[in-house]
Amino acid sequence: MAIEAYTEVTLPADRKVVAELRGVSKSFGDVLAASDLNLSIGEGEFLSFLGPSGCGKTTALRMLAGFEAPSEGQVLLDGDVVNDLDAHNRPVNMVFQQYALFPHMTVTQNIGYGLRQVRPRIPKPQIAERVSRALEVVRLGGFDDRKIWEMSGGQQQRVALARAIINEPKLLLLDEPMAALDRKLRKEMQIELQDLQRQLGITFVLVTHDQEEALSMSDRICIMRDGRIVQIGSPQELYDRPNSRYVADFVGTSNFFDGTLQGSPEGLSTVLLDNGMQVQGMAGDGLVDHQDVCISVRPEQMKLSHQGDGVEVKVHNRIFLGEHTEYLVSHQTLGDFLVLAPRQADLTEGAFAVGDTATVSWEATAALILDRN
Amino acid sequence: MRFYAICVYLFLYIPIGVIALFSFNAGRHASQLQGFSTKWYGKALSNPFVMDALETSLTVAFCSALFASVFGTMAAVALQGIRGPVRVAFDMLIYVAVMIPGIVIGIATLIGLVTVFDQLNPLIAAIWPEGFNPPKLRMGIGSLIAAHTMFLMALVVIIVRARLAGMDRALTEASSDLYATPMGTFRQVTLPMIFPAILAGFLLSFTFSFDDFIIAFFVAGSETTLPIYVFSSIRRGVTPEINAIGTMVMGVSLLLLISAQLLLQRGGRKSR
Repeated sequence: MAIEAYTEVTLPADRKVVAELRGVSKSFGDVLAASDLNLSIGEGEFLSFLGPSGCGKTTALRMLAGFEAPSEGQVLLDGDVVNDLDAHNRPVNMVFQQYALFPHMTVTQNIGYGLRQVRPRIPKPQIAERVSRALEVVRLGGFDDRKIWEMSGGQQQRVALARAIINEPKLLLLDEPMAALDRKLRKEMQIELQDLQRQLGITFVLVTHDQEEALSMSDRICIMRDGRIVQIGSPQELYDRPNSRYVADFVGTSNFFDGTLQGSPEGLSTVLLDNGMQVQGMAGDGLVDHQDVCISVRPEQMKLSHQGDGVEVKVHNRIFLGEHTEYLVSHQTLGDFLVLAPRQADLTEGAFAVGDTATVSWEATAALILDRN
Repeated sequence: MRFYAICVYLFLYIPIGVIALFSFNAGRHASQLQGFSTKWYGKALSNPFVMDALETSLTVAFCSALFASVFGTMAAVALQGIRGPVRVAFDMLIYVAVMIPGIVIGIATLIGLVTVFDQLNPLIAAIWPEGFNPPKLRMGIGSLIAAHTMFLMALVVIIVRARLAGMDRALTEASSDLYATPMGTFRQVTLPMIFPAILAGFLLSFTFSFDDFIIAFFVAGSETTLPIYVFSSIRRGVTPEINAIGTMVMGVSLLLLISAQLLLQRGGRKSR
């Protein structure tokens, strides 16, 4: 079921594929770290693996890099199976989580490392020239002879980037590259990374557990769970049409109400919620009659009003966020859930205070009927 | 507590201090202080037997430290890439080799070498061309170097292993990701990073070999190392000359040990 759901969002047919995973699995002893991964990565694409720690995203990346050999399936680069190609023979470079810069070398020596390994040797002046160009690209001009440990985290990150992109790899792999940076620097680097990717046209593959990071930078996101790919799609697709409760929960925030599907799932369908209420929603693919499902409604799709149709709730908490106000409301049988009201609604409808009663309503098309897992 | 600690240190270091003090004794008896003089140092350094023994000791110490560093580093790097029972077994054997008393190593090496030589010598004599004197394997500088290399290797393995364990695995991965072959990675990344540890291992090995008496006593054959010379001359009475030799040996050893310690500390800091 999950496989059908994600093959529907593949690459455009005219896009050249640089890398591919075909039925790739990897087990470490008894532990299955990655299971039946199928994925095509298009040229010049920015693809992210998103998932919690231990979901297999780093294993997937390491198989692309050549640090791990798949237990089953094939890894392809430019159409060739590279399962048995060692990391040092793959035209792929990686930016490591802690950067892994060589502490006994200067910035220049670190960046030129990859070029120095190429045989037949590249002439020294040519290496020097390319290094200084790479330094310019990551805006570290003048840092040539610095020692690595004299640089800040953000600067080290740039050195690591320069060290990788100077080799013009087919794939640039980034393993949680922002994890060690503080929040403000992370935002800056995200923008810079995106600019860099557009400017160079190199295919980027990012591994992250930070949904914001994945949403803001990627062309496509590959959501992973327990070693499997759950869904692949553009950030919008994943947000608007998640194929499971897991994806809806991981990408953005959502309110979930458990129930049972009534009738065959075609477009607008009816769900009998566990509290006896009947609700309409858009059924996802692959659901069957009487299946245990849940209804997912994004907080910003919910409308809070003083009177009218809808479920009656009590305002439990109110957080003013500037352009939005976040209300935590509680319903007698549905429990607590979040409603995000735009500032405009607060102004026209009047704001709600903690303790007020209100009604919550949403469009039937905004409610998604999803698999409970 | 502090009082006891002071007592313990006094107990340990007073004899050493006394040796150093008496090496500057002007008189010729080791038990009577009769004014300051450095003449015993001059005497020791001009004694041909002392110089001979010193040369043997230095040769043995240098060669065995060199071999131990090379083989020990190779073993440490190889062990780093191994997991499971093989590694556990090797780890255990290495610690055993360090903890085993010198006298056991001495006797074991002696018996082992003698047995092997007894087997090999007739063989060599048999295949040697007629009319030439066949070489005869026997105890001497070679067996000394071999025995010292054996037990010092374990020491180097431990020191280098500690350094390797502290090294980020991502560094070697990054190197191979940047197209360096395994050999290239070793030469450009691993070796420079563990070099302080190797050097420290070399210096420690040098000191241990230079100071070793027990093992050398068993396997030296007709060779005389400095500790063996000191031991044999003590039987003819302790002279300030022996004190002077002891003080010099101690000074050099201390210097090497301190350098080794500094190297290990500096190397450790840099890798963070």
